[in-house]
Amino acid sequence: MAVRFDYPQAQEIRDTFARHKVRYLFIGKSGAILLGFSDTTQDADLFADKSLENGEALAQALTELGFALTDEQAAEIKRGKDFVQLKNGPFDLDLIFAPDGIETFREAWEHHIEIDGFPVCHPDDIIKSKEAANRVKDRESLPRLRAFRDYWKKHQ
Amino acid sequence: MNDEPASEQQLREWEAEFEAAARRPLAVRMRYSFIRTYKPVLDDAPYRSFDTMAEYREWCEKNLPSWLGYGRSV
Repeated sequence: MAVRFDYPQAQEIRDTFARHKVRYLFIGKSGAILLGFSDTTQDADLFADKSLENGEALAQALTELGFALTDEQAAEIKRGKDFVQLKNGPFDLDLIFAPDGIETFREAWEHHIEIDGFPVCHPDDIIKSKEAANRVKDRESLPRLRAFRDYWKKHQ
Repeated sequence: MNDEPASEQQLREWEAEFEAAARRPLAVRMRYSFIRTYKPVLDDAPYRSFDTMAEYREWCEKNLPSWLGYGRSV
């Protein structure tokens, strides 16, 4: 089992992705936690820009981080399959190229938030994505997440 | 819990929690927030990929225990 995701792992992502010029955003509950949401999660979710150039940079960065990607898996990441779940590295990571409820990466990037150098989706986008996914676990977390969004906006 | 509006009392409690969290450094918040437990089926493969989110959601519905909450119904 991979280690628990923690601040040092997030720093590794931030720094390695920056070196490889990967365009990405933290999304989901992991993104909200970076913004200050007090809750628990198990996964780090990254929304990556779907382009060949970004996919190549992303695959290289993941390999450098220690993810054991086969040639076929690297090709899938370069191609930008909508959802890739990685449990073959130093920590678990979900890559999302087309999150529910968000039209384009560019749109999400335009109003993203930077926290300690971590690029994070705006809370409105995190909520939109969870509303569109509409899983049981999303419905459970949405009332508290909306309350956090309102609190966060008041304190900006 | 369903996706329903929270009560005033619940909102006040959550706001107090958000304020407490805001006083902690990011590294501490993350230490408290990211947990690690085994999730059956989901954690049993080192790599999975799906062409579309719809395919991923369908796979979750069909293959994961409902109590994990990845499906749209319990």
